[in-house]
Amino acid sequence: MHSFIHFIMGPMVWISFMIFFFGVIFRFLKMFKLINEKEIFIYTYMSLKYSFRSIFAWLIPFLPVSTRKSPVFYSISYIFHLLLFLVPVCLLSHVLLIEESVQWSWFAFNDSVSDTLTLVIIFSLIFFMVRRIVVPEVKFLTKPSDFIFILIVGLPFVTGFLAFHQFFAYRWLVIAHVLSGELMLILIPFTRFSHMFMAPFTRAYTGSEFGSVRHAKDW
Amino acid sequence: MQDKDTLTTNAKDVIDEGVEKGLSRLTPEKISKVINQVLTKETGARFKAYVETCMRCGLCADACSIFLSNDRDPRFSPAAKVKQTILEMIKKKGKVSKLFLKDAVRIAHAECNVCKRCSMYCPFGIDIAYMMLLVRRICHKLEITPLYIQDTVNSHSATMNQMWVKEDEWIDTLQWQEEDAREEFKDLRIPLDKDGADIMYSVIAPEPKFQAGLIYQAAVIMHAAGLNWTMPSTPGWDNSNMAMFTGDFEISGRIAKAHYEAAAKLHVNKIVMGECGHAFRSVYDVGNRWIGWTMPPVKLVHAIDFYHDLLTSGRIKIKEKYKKTVTLHDPCNVSRGRGLHEKAREIVNILCESFIEMTPNREHNYCCGAGGGVINCGPPWKNTRMVNNREKKEQLERTGAKVLIAPCHNCHSGLEDIIEYYGVEMEVKFFGDIIYEVMEKEIYQKRRLK
Amino acid sequence: MKDEKSWDWHSGKKEIPVKEWQNRFNWVEEPYVSPDGEKIASIVNTDEARFSVCVNGETWENNFEKAWSLKFMPDGRLATLVSNDEEWTACVDGVSWETRFDYTWDLKFTPDGSSIAVAVQKDGQYGMAVNDTIWDRLYENISGVVLSDQGTSAAVVQADPLGQGDIEGFSSGIFCAAVNGVAQQEKFMNIWDLSFDSKGKQLAYSIRKNRVDYSISRGSQPWKKNFQFSWKPEFIDKENSVIAPVRQGGKWFLFKDEAPFWNKSYGQLWKLAIHGNGKKIAAVVSDNFGKWTVCENDETWNFYCDTIISDLFYSDNGNLLIAVFKDKGLWDIAVNQKAWNIRADKLWSPVVSRDDTIVAARMEKDGVFYLVVNGKVYKEYFDMVFEPQISPDNDKILLKTMKNGIYSRQILSLDKVL
Repeated sequence: MHSFIHFIMGPMVWISFMIFFFGVIFRFLKMFKLINEKEIFIYTYMSLKYSFRSIFAWLIPFLPVSTRKSPVFYSISYIFHLLLFLVPVCLLSHVLLIEESVQWSWFAFNDSVSDTLTLVIIFSLIFFMVRRIVVPEVKFLTKPSDFIFILIVGLPFVTGFLAFHQFFAYRWLVIAHVLSGELMLILIPFTRFSHMFMAPFTRAYTGSEFGSVRHAKDW
Repeated sequence: MQDKDTLTTNAKDVIDEGVEKGLSRLTPEKISKVINQVLTKETGARFKAYVETCMRCGLCADACSIFLSNDRDPRFSPAAKVKQTILEMIKKKGKVSKLFLKDAVRIAHAECNVCKRCSMYCPFGIDIAYMMLLVRRICHKLEITPLYIQDTVNSHSATMNQMWVKEDEWIDTLQWQEEDAREEFKDLRIPLDKDGADIMYSVIAPEPKFQAGLIYQAAVIMHAAGLNWTMPSTPGWDNSNMAMFTGDFEISGRIAKAHYEAAAKLHVNKIVMGECGHAFRSVYDVGNRWIGWTMPPVKLVHAIDFYHDLLTSGRIKIKEKYKKTVTLHDPCNVSRGRGLHEKAREIVNILCESFIEMTPNREHNYCCGAGGGVINCGPPWKNTRMVNNREKKEQLERTGAKVLIAPCHNCHSGLEDIIEYYGVEMEVKFFGDIIYEVMEKEIYQKRRLK
Repeated sequence: MKDEKSWDWHSGKKEIPVKEWQNRFNWVEEPYVSPDGEKIASIVNTDEARFSVCVNGETWENNFEKAWSLKFMPDGRLATLVSNDEEWTACVDGVSWETRFDYTWDLKFTPDGSSIAVAVQKDGQYGMAVNDTIWDRLYENISGVVLSDQGTSAAVVQADPLGQGDIEGFSSGIFCAAVNGVAQQEKFMNIWDLSFDSKGKQLAYSIRKNRVDYSISRGSQPWKKNFQFSWKPEFIDKENSVIAPVRQGGKWFLFKDEAPFWNKSYGQLWKLAIHGNGKKIAAVVSDNFGKWTVCENDETWNFYCDTIISDLFYSDNGNLLIAVFKDKGLWDIAVNQKAWNIRADKLWSPVVSRDDTIVAARMEKDGVFYLVVNGKVYKEYFDMVFEPQISPDNDKILLKTMKNGIYSRQILSLDKVL
């Protein structure tokens, strides 16, 4: 048992990061190979200026008309995505763990802030789940896997939250927390979580076509 | 008002002979072979990225006027159209039924205007219009394209114009319009094949076929502006392209080639095209790309751009502003497709006394409901189209304007249908109609000498 | 026949005032100049709905309700299409054909001037007329009219009627090629790009067999192999073989008689130029999206342009391969891979001397016209420059221009230009 815990908290973390990292690289290589083989014209119309124009426009809250049409969803989604990165990266115990192993450290939230933010993430996920059930046009598009995705994202946060508060079965919760975090990392490159790094590209292409060819805004 | 289910059932009940006959000939082998060929051989990174990146968040729904017109029926959201067509084809590896294909034809051809508005509402900019065009490509290869638009494409392929206009009919019409216009300017000409002219003026085939008066008006404007212009007597004069909307990219390429070669043969500086949106799209960034021309090989100027130039440079002078209150419909293919909406507004303000904005507008305007080849699917689909255009009707009504300017042929016809069907009190006009009405009928050079 | 030797290559400058024509007629249409430069002509409006042709200030005796498509033939005769009493015909040097039609267009001639052809419509039926003789059989419709150098006429004709919206009838194949009015047997869904052999005997063309299969047909014999698309074929090897650009797997190839001919494939390949029965074959190609070059005998030029290559041809001796192209929005000429760098707004295909030493073209730049010889722009500019000619002994240029309403024909010795 001890060696298992040691494994998942040590080497497995690195392995997960490697799989994530190389998985992303692999996906990119595959994408560029495919472009070179079949859609070489994409490079012709890609414009750095208009790619960034589009990406930045979409990063500004409530600039795109679409975001103004669904303000609640966008607000939650915006905060959720931000926290999805910030909370794990700036969680004090994560920062300490990393400092311990590689002697790097950076800013960390104090525990009560992290705790609240984790709840925000969990509630966001519940919101997404409810939205998938309640909003007809979203429900129509939803597949069972969409709930599984929400679950996969939610698990590390829920287990982390429970473990932090030591409500019950601390040891098991920590194990579940570490494993679910690793699972998510591993899955990112190979599932629709990949929108994390693909979306800037699809946005950039549309932004380029709209900006440099069609002389129009795309937000 | 019809309820949701009858609407959908009605659309499902449409009998299109082209589709029915085509379906009756299909075998399961042929269906899966064609679908897999298109999905594996004819798509690449873009398609893969779109399919794998879509989070099914449904934000595209609000972009689609057809979704809104159908009381937010989830089946009509852009992503739902992908789900009900392409995604199912991928999932079943092409082994789909004829019934499924019948629905796919309807969804891709009659329930999507490929207006690209949804790619402005998707946070990832996923181009759903592109995927609907892929469905149409599959339908084309399976030979189940709706009859009327297929007939149009057949005409394109045989005559290089959309309406089976024969070569002599084209020239004869130009000469007839020229003769008529001499009532106003006794030395007016529509110069044919004038080698080295500055401008080649191109139109879509419905002009010589049904609306020759528009050629007359254009000739009057050209003549009054004192321009060195010409029109080709040979095929290539038609800038329209329905093949691009049925997924017949090969014919679409040949049409674009004919158009630009006509211009190159005449050694003109630029092509000025009449008020048409889809035609602009076809020669600006679709047909030319299939050929390998990244951008138009001969400078291409849409009528909005052209009129703007004539009016702001003083080549055309306004006698008296147009009195009636007008509103402006931004055609997708030249606003979202070319950013000409601000120039269009400037023209309206130069020409008209009172202008009411339609909302949403500019890049965000709703499609006329006819675009993307939807109106070209013809009478069998007209009722479905009218139902799908309810949101557009409401948008028109909200303006309260009596005159609707639509600088696009497709929009024009589609909006007229809406107005008639829903009994909206509005009159649709081209910019050309209004310019012709309010302009000083005097030749620019002579006016300057005074 | 264009007989350059008999032309006046000695007189310095001859002028014809043209501007004053404006006062004599209601309006004067754009001018055309004879190959030898001795004549300048325009269609003129003499009265309400009355037109004639004015040549060097003299008006044709007859006049017409309408006249259009004025063209000088290579031998210096002047042809046009005219109409009286709502009947159309061709008219050469003021003499109309006997035969009348409901409409005429697409006026063509052979290089020796022995044949004049037009597309015609009579009683709603379509065909061609050559030297005042209409085809024996007329058709539902006609397109893609061609005339061989020997005077053989051909076109794509619609052999069967087609009802409105009859997509089934269309798919059954109703088009065929007709040569001198005689329809070839095989009918196809579409036919384009009619191409004669150099003797004017055989015809090859692009065909569409069904919705998705395209190929090439030689006479009435279609290739068995199908392609995704094709462009205009050409005859080579003493008319024994046909080559054509064809599309396969999304790429363009040059095929010869159904087999790959060139090794490399391209994003685009078209506009074949042939010399010496196929000893030299060139094509406009694009190997990188949006970048155009020329491929000669399977080897690409060391040259690129980003917009279009509009013309590609060999000089008569085959020593020069000339491309008219547009790069970054401006027109230019490349001779054997080397670009002139003249950057014109408008540019016409050049003429080449018999010994290949002179290549001369006319161009427009900043609103005025110039003569360009071997890439060098002649200093004087004009309101219009017509197609230049080079003397048979390759030492003089016949320059035909218009300036301030005066047409002028002048002989320039080459040293003055270069």
